[in-house]
Amino acid sequence: MSASLTYWRSLSERDGEPAPALDPTASRPADFSRRRFLEATGFTLSALAAAGCRPAREELALPSVTGVAGQIPGRNRICAATCAACPAACGLLVTTRDGRPLKLEGMPEHPLSRGGLCAVGQAQPLGLYDSLRLTGPLQRGQPISWRDADQKILDVLQQLREAGGAVRVLTGSTCSPSLRRMIGRFLGTFSDGRHVVFDSLGCSAILGAHEQTHGVRMLPRYRFENARAIVSLGTDFLGTWLSPVEFARGWRQGRIPTTDRPEMSYHVQLEGRMSLTGTKADRRLRVLPDEYALILGHLAADLANRAGLPGPSAPLPALPVAADEITALADRLWDARGASLVLSDSDDVQVQVLVNDVNHLLDNYGATLDTARPDQRWQSDDDSLSRLLAELRNGKVAALFVAGTDPLHNLPQSADLAEALGNVGLVVSLARWLDATTTAAQFICPEHHPLEDWTDAEPISGLVSYSQPMLAPLGQTRSILESLAAWSGQPATAYDIVRDTCRQQVFSRQSQIADFTAFWDQAVQTGFVEVEPVTGGPPAFNPEAVQWPTTAPATDGPRLAVHANVGMPDSRHAHNAWLHELPDPITKGTWDNYACISPALALAQGLADGDIATVTAGDVRIELPVCIQPGQHDRLVSVALGYGVPGTERFAHIGPDWFEARSGVGENGLVGVNAAPLLTWSDGRLSSTRSDVQLAKTGRHRPLATTQEHHSLTLPANTAPHGAPVRDIVQETTLAAFAQNPHGGTPHAHHVAGGELWPADHPPGDEKWGMVIDLNACTGCSACVVACQVENNIPVVGRDEVVRQREMHWLRIDRYYAGDGDDVRVAHQPMLCQHCDNAPCETVCPVLATVHSADGLNQQAYNRCVGTRYCANNCPYKVRRFNWFDYPHDDALENLALNPDVTVRMRGIMEKCSLCVQRIQEGRHEARRLGIPLADGAIQIACQQSCPAQAISFGNLRDATSAVAAARTSERSFRVLEELGVEPAVAYLRIVRNAEATDTHAEAAHV
Amino acid sequence: MSEHPEFHRPPLIDGHKSLADVTRDICAPLERRATALWWWAFIAAVSALLLGVVTVWYQIKTGIGTWGLNKTVGWAFDITNFVFWVGIGHAGTLISAVLFLFRQKWRTSVNRSAEAMTLFAVMCAGIYPLIHMGRPWLAYWMMPYPNTRGPLWVNFKSPLIWDFFAISTYFLISALFWYVGLIPDLATVRDRARPGLRQRVCKWLSLGWDGSFRTWHRYELVYLLLAGLATPLVFSVHTIVSTDFATSVIPGWHTTIFPPYFVAGAIFSGLAMVLTLMLIARKALNLEDYLTPRHIERMCLLMVSMGSLVGLAYGTEFFMAFYSGNAYEQFVFKNRAFGPLAWAYWTMVTCNVVIPQLIWFKAVRTNLALVFVISICVNIGMWFERFVIIVTSLHRDYLPSSWAHYIPSTVEIATFIGSFGLFFTCFLLFCRAAPVVAIAEVKGAMQTGHGGHHESHATGQEAAA
Repeated sequence: MSASLTYWRSLSERDGEPAPALDPTASRPADFSRRRFLEATGFTLSALAAAGCRPAREELALPSVTGVAGQIPGRNRICAATCAACPAACGLLVTTRDGRPLKLEGMPEHPLSRGGLCAVGQAQPLGLYDSLRLTGPLQRGQPISWRDADQKILDVLQQLREAGGAVRVLTGSTCSPSLRRMIGRFLGTFSDGRHVVFDSLGCSAILGAHEQTHGVRMLPRYRFENARAIVSLGTDFLGTWLSPVEFARGWRQGRIPTTDRPEMSYHVQLEGRMSLTGTKADRRLRVLPDEYALILGHLAADLANRAGLPGPSAPLPALPVAADEITALADRLWDARGASLVLSDSDDVQVQVLVNDVNHLLDNYGATLDTARPDQRWQSDDDSLSRLLAELRNGKVAALFVAGTDPLHNLPQSADLAEALGNVGLVVSLARWLDATTTAAQFICPEHHPLEDWTDAEPISGLVSYSQPMLAPLGQTRSILESLAAWSGQPATAYDIVRDTCRQQVFSRQSQIADFTAFWDQAVQTGFVEVEPVTGGPPAFNPEAVQWPTTAPATDGPRLAVHANVGMPDSRHAHNAWLHELPDPITKGTWDNYACISPALALAQGLADGDIATVTAGDVRIELPVCIQPGQHDRLVSVALGYGVPGTERFAHIGPDWFEARSGVGENGLVGVNAAPLLTWSDGRLSSTRSDVQLAKTGRHRPLATTQEHHSLTLPANTAPHGAPVRDIVQETTLAAFAQNPHGGTPHAHHVAGGELWPADHPPGDEKWGMVIDLNACTGCSACVVACQVENNIPVVGRDEVVRQREMHWLRIDRYYAGDGDDVRVAHQPMLCQHCDNAPCETVCPVLATVHSADGLNQQAYNRCVGTRYCANNCPYKVRRFNWFDYPHDDALENLALNPDVTVRMRGIMEKCSLCVQRIQEGRHEARRLGIPLADGAIQIACQQSCPAQAISFGNLRDATSAVAAARTSERSFRVLEELGVEPAVAYLRIVRNAEATDTHAEAAHV
Repeated sequence: MSEHPEFHRPPLIDGHKSLADVTRDICAPLERRATALWWWAFIAAVSALLLGVVTVWYQIKTGIGTWGLNKTVGWAFDITNFVFWVGIGHAGTLISAVLFLFRQKWRTSVNRSAEAMTLFAVMCAGIYPLIHMGRPWLAYWMMPYPNTRGPLWVNFKSPLIWDFFAISTYFLISALFWYVGLIPDLATVRDRARPGLRQRVCKWLSLGWDGSFRTWHRYELVYLLLAGLATPLVFSVHTIVSTDFATSVIPGWHTTIFPPYFVAGAIFSGLAMVLTLMLIARKALNLEDYLTPRHIERMCLLMVSMGSLVGLAYGTEFFMAFYSGNAYEQFVFKNRAFGPLAWAYWTMVTCNVVIPQLIWFKAVRTNLALVFVISICVNIGMWFERFVIIVTSLHRDYLPSSWAHYIPSTVEIATFIGSFGLFFTCFLLFCRAAPVVAIAEVKGAMQTGHGGHHESHATGQEAAA
């Protein structure tokens, strides 16, 4: 290669011709610059784009031009409200984003619920966005305008006002002062108007018993927080009875022993079916509902003897349980005089009178039973209801207004009732969804969803809470207050009615704030006000009311009990898919009701789980699948109400659509079977138990959609390793053992000597998120499961997919049984991603879709996941959930309930608990914005926030002063499968039962 | 080398064939019209393949939910079939590479079809990791390639990544090895073919083979080198497949015995599949003289020794579970033997350990019908082995709350049938497209009296001319 070589670029260059001039514009039109070109291209493209657009639809194109004060797009707005899912009226905080209510949470300041909210309450937003919810008034199924509907109803009412005719308003229990005022005002315009209250499982007997013993129809407020001994006969006060959130919080107060104060309340549950409350009891006795009277009689006689008061004149019939059990019970109660509580869910007034007598003998009135500020939430009255039914049957009712209850579905002999309703001149239903009663109504005038409405409530005397509309009504519905006002002839807005009620009935009962407007504003803003109670203390106890039981119940033949399920307390929630898919805390069943029977009865009848049996009671015969329930009384069949609701046909195809998909509904085309026909009228009361029941096998089978296949930590005998038949996943100890050695119950220390083999992958930073769940406090109520589902956009997969064991809940509650026969113990264990430091899922993901964050979270990158499922296989806790299909909402409107902070996952990818990383980030950003350090407790994750029992603590484990770090160092702390060395960030606190360290407990320190 | 130990042994092929006979016999199936039997088999195979294609299409369109998997059992038919097919492939490589290095001349009659089987089995296997993904359209994310997402790399700690490399390497080497071995035979076919498509294709594929000494020399060298390359793969591929399980924390998976156990099992299952196919092929293609009972017998002995290794592994697993004192591990093994899937476990033990013991009897291993039945049993047993390992370990692991059952869906079963369809479609096409016995290699192992290895090859080419 010599330097003399010359290179040429073209032949012309070689041949010496001049190179072309380097004029940049020469080859282009002189007037077409780059800028011009871009302009032209841009114009053409925009013209094409514009040509492709249709005129924007007006309602989509107009944003809220005028900003709403305090509302920033994309930021949460939190308003105080009152829960209307059941009469318990818990305090709510409603999170609204860009005008959409998204999440309901417990209001920590609320004096009753104190931050808790149950699963049913949490699930309410789904109903708001349900396109099957009625959107306007109907006359005989045809849409009609409010003006016409009102006119037609008023025409009839006018005739009645003139001619006189019986007008009845039938509602569920309501503690809304405004609603009661409006019903009163409405009925006052008629010569014969009456308000009848009906709850499918109410407490009419308790009210009736207080009328007899105290002369006042009253429900005392139960103060579990003051009770050192609790004896409950069948009441599921932690699950479904009256006000479970409030009761769970109170109950929890006495249930946490510490090293300094190794004390707990003593909780005895006597019941036939296995209730959620029974699972948490220190001592549980299996008794039938018709044995309550005798047990209470003996208890009352024993206590009267101790108190030196006269007992029964004649000896009582023999006890159905061992006499020393009752003596032991009486000892405990007597020791805790003035701080004990005896309760029963019996619908027999005489039983409730005995309960009152026992509580009176124990000086519990005024201590654990608050009569100065009694409970106003439940008013159902069986006498009043039976009179209404008689009137209906005799054609004496001229007009019936039904709201907040579905009598045709929830009462027995509904065919007769339907016929009777056909003879009523005017039936108006205010139901939000079409139900059994709406089919008999001439007019359906749907009321607002509670989140669209102004409401108030006075759950206990002197505590008034308020709710404001969270959004403009989605349909043409109308507040029940406005409807009643219109039909009274004095139209008013709900706002004015509630405000006026406040002025008239509430404002006057306080003296701190003189200005009504200021008072009102404060009440609406804080969600509740505390004022003077209306009623004083009740008159003295009248011992004459007590009637001692004289006959012993029959000792043979099965009994039937109808009860409420934790996730589906009554038929009003039957359209809520979240609640249908929520596993029952005990049976773990979803999407169905079933006949629960004991293992012994199942064996005797040759029935297995899912076998369809005929339950015959009197002339009623229904077919139900059988669910074998350990701990159930051997002579009791129990069935949940609230199922078989018309309208649940909608869930036939809720799951993914593929060729092997099976229907989500039963043979009747509905979700579950209506058990209300099994209710029976006896002695003028609506009884939920009966003895004329038979169970027969049909030979057919339908698999139960349960989320748990194996129910015990005790391994099957044929596969259990020698010497290790039980797994110590849940640890349990007794109070006596705990007092001796708080660390006791830890079976063995699994730690590898010398610590970790490998250097830590994750160098310690300032933050490491962790969680501690107190299994002793956790009642298994499953509020957290729904909270997580709502917060994290977890799809509903439908019955068939649950049967295929593909439910998507990130947080589940594992339930384990131990023992059998009379001594069945139950443990609940919320199980979620344990955010292991040495996470087995992280190492095996081929594409790094699951990785560890610097602050200790095990993160899942949805858009990186290719779906090999290796991570889920390798998870020892099996908490990862795979999107087997796309799970779109069957109702596009329900998409409005999606949390905009959380990705909606497509099919084929893995997901799992993120410890609500969106909330962690929000908390961090907020702290940074305010320029303050992130305080402990500033971040509340969804499951933790609404836990009625405050069982969950979450926070920074590296902050030694945090609540979670303190809980982590508790003597009761343990981690599940710690011996694997995966270093989970979630710890549990051991269960402690208030019992002596008996042999059985000492041996099985874990369930 | 000049001792000719073959003189003391029975000939490797029967029928006193001349070199020209060999060429004619083996090329005959290619050169005549397909028989009715072939057509029926082909129609059946293609139907099965189509069924598989349709179900896979449906599954990818609808979701993995069309399989019977659930929250606890995340792998079942998919990975069982994957390991099953990969395992089957191993015998081909063993026969062609390992036995080649050990100068086992009897292999020459079977190696071609065994290698083809390897190739097709690996193709069948390769489908499963792809379609078992939730989002198979993103499967290329398993490849570490420069990208604009960070760049976001793959997780080299994940055995699935090792798998990806192991299987793709294995497929490439196997394909190359098979093709290189085919070159002299393709030349033979080329030389025999009338002008036309077959001749043109074979001409192109035989890379200008001229049968010269130099060609033969280079060919032998490449073949030897490839055999050397392929030999470690026999052990490495299934070792790596076994790490998919062994590196996990799941009792029943987390065990160090898996690599040798899986390799032995793979060879065992592969030999069974080779036997099955050979027994069919020798009948269907009139190759009784080439695939003699003596070949079958040696294969049988190899199979029973591998089967015994597998049986030893089963026993060792149980012993280790007992000896470890680990309650979870002990439970898994008791659960395998006595739990709800005990039927699968005992099917596996019967088929893999008990039945193959019959091979020790000469009367059994020389009875081709019985050998066929045993080979089918081993195929079934080895499928169940993978099923047992995967499903029984997953379905009842640590937390009893999450224990679950697994029932395959129709889509999974149809996909499995489809993989057999693919395998047999490929195999039947192979029977029509290439000599199923390595002509050149058989000739090299024949006692034609001409002595040298290379001469016989050379005459092979002349005979073909």
